[in-house]
Amino acid sequence: MNNTNIFGIFDSEDMLVATVRNILDKGIKIKDVITPYPVEAVFHELKLKTRIPFAAYLYGVFGLLATFGFLYWTSVINYPLVYGGKPQNTLSFVIVIFVMVINITIAFTIITFFLREKKGPGAKPPYEYKGMTDDKYFIVIEKSGNINTEEVNKLLTSGGAIEVTEQ
Amino acid sequence: MYNKKVRGVLIEGNKTYGQITDEILAPQERKAPSWWFVAMFISSLAMAMGAWAIWTTIVEGIGTWGVNNSIGWGWGIINFVWWIGIGHAGTAFSIFLLILRQKWRTSINRAAEAMTVVAVLCAGLFPMLHMGRIWMAFFIFPYPNSRGPLWVNFNSPLFWDVVAISTYLMASATFWYIGMIPDLATVRDRAKSKVKKAIYGFMAFGWVGTARSWLRFETAALIIGGLAAPLVIAVHSIVSMDFATSVMAGWHTTVFPPYFVIGAIFSGFAMVLTLMIIIRKAFKFQDFVTQGHLDAIARILTFISLIMGTAYTTEIFIAWYSGMEGEIYTFFHNRISGDHTKAFWTMVTCNAIIPQFFWFKKIRKNLTLVFIISIIINIGMWFERYVIVVTSLSKDYLPANWSEYSPTIVEIGTYVGTLGLFGLGVLLFIRYIPMMAMSELKVILKGTSILTNQKDHE
Repeated sequence: MNNTNIFGIFDSEDMLVATVRNILDKGIKIKDVITPYPVEAVFHELKLKTRIPFAAYLYGVFGLLATFGFLYWTSVINYPLVYGGKPQNTLSFVIVIFVMVINITIAFTIITFFLREKKGPGAKPPYEYKGMTDDKYFIVIEKSGNINTEEVNKLLTSGGAIEVTEQ
Repeated sequence: MYNKKVRGVLIEGNKTYGQITDEILAPQERKAPSWWFVAMFISSLAMAMGAWAIWTTIVEGIGTWGVNNSIGWGWGIINFVWWIGIGHAGTAFSIFLLILRQKWRTSINRAAEAMTVVAVLCAGLFPMLHMGRIWMAFFIFPYPNSRGPLWVNFNSPLFWDVVAISTYLMASATFWYIGMIPDLATVRDRAKSKVKKAIYGFMAFGWVGTARSWLRFETAALIIGGLAAPLVIAVHSIVSMDFATSVMAGWHTTVFPPYFVIGAIFSGFAMVLTLMIIIRKAFKFQDFVTQGHLDAIARILTFISLIMGTAYTTEIFIAWYSGMEGEIYTFFHNRISGDHTKAFWTMVTCNAIIPQFFWFKKIRKNLTLVFIISIIINIGMWFERYVIVVTSLSKDYLPANWSEYSPTIVEIGTYVGTLGLFGLGVLLFIRYIPMMAMSELKVILKGTSILTNQKDHE
């Protein structure tokens, strides 16, 4: 099997963050950093951003319009029910709209999350190594043409990696 | 005095990250203890009784229940509101405390959310059974039909209930599951048998924990949490409107929505306390669920109990001060005194008086007493719903309609059945799913160990 990735394995969060910074300073591209729990400093170093909040906002707006549209269509246009001379387009719609905005936003946000992550029931994990998702931290660097393997290995080891391997 | 440390160490025993994984997963990786099988057996028996009761209700009809023309809502609705109340624990715990950045939630939220999902399932069963013709249950959803098309009544609190509770079930179940994915991946990576690896691998959705995944994961969790927090308020406000929008004395009260929300959080927190004391004792999780955790829940319960007491008094005061005769009758001659005194005073004692013992540190430290009080609260909350549903309906404005109500064995059976279902759900949870959010515990470990170091220097 062709080894395509270099793995630097760490057992300390601080060393991991320092090494990530070091490697990025040298202009080497990091493919992934794998940690057993979210490490905010890594997000910061890798300059990661997510647009999920903005998407969620749009879903909320869509939910609001869709629910109001549905209520208006059913109760005012399609089958106006007359009871006690009360208005058909009523304020009590607010409650259903409120709940449905939450419903639609949550459902769509979750779908977006899984689509962006390309994850779903039965999806195969992209990497597998002992200690992953337990207490080890990994820096994954792709072996492409212009990567100097030796330099990378040296950087990882001097940064405190307990093991450097290829997979 | 102002410098007093509010919260102590959250994870005791100077643990490493690896130890957290080992210790949380240890109960799943060894054989199930014998009490687990006994408890499963008892739960299954209770569920069998529930199945019989549901079968009888469906085949013979709602006439097998003790409800009548005047008291049309009996145990069915009492239990529905009770379960929904308990089902508020997960959100209250996990989501309010997440938004408020309360780190002590981490060792408890998973169990609280699991409880929520099972309790909401139990709750949902009752309104459906109460319809009588359960096979027509889909009528409550607005769908194009050949009756006009005649839509559902969008202005009815009963329809709002349908929307709110199904949204709540969806939101709390997905929030729970998404939070669980990283831990399921850990189980997958540690699994020794092929079958276990395949099953947990399927459920873990291919998670490994890359930085990008974690960022999206945290963002999505915060968004869902932020949305579910107002939802939880909406759900129980809407449940209260099932009562408050009527003209029945004792139901038609403006205090109802906040009173119901607080009541729900009260019984939910009490149930969390009951469950966490059991889990902590059974699996020796004292390092993760510390005395401090239980103390914090007990303090919250003390405060909520005060609000409950205030709500009870307010209702009575307003009934008297407004001079509305129907309400005066209901509160003074049908609750404080009269046919339903026992239920009313049980409710007041269990909810407003006994939890006040939590003011004493000695009682908060005695876990047996804490455990007993947490159960007493849930008994009290059951009686609160009994008082609301039965007393108001039993004697309404027209004395010719006055009636009494006692449950039949079929109604009791449905309740016992849901208790069994709840027990079964919780037992399966503690056997097959990591009981505490390991990845979240690992996040707070660093902060806790700093706290421990400080303690050493003091």
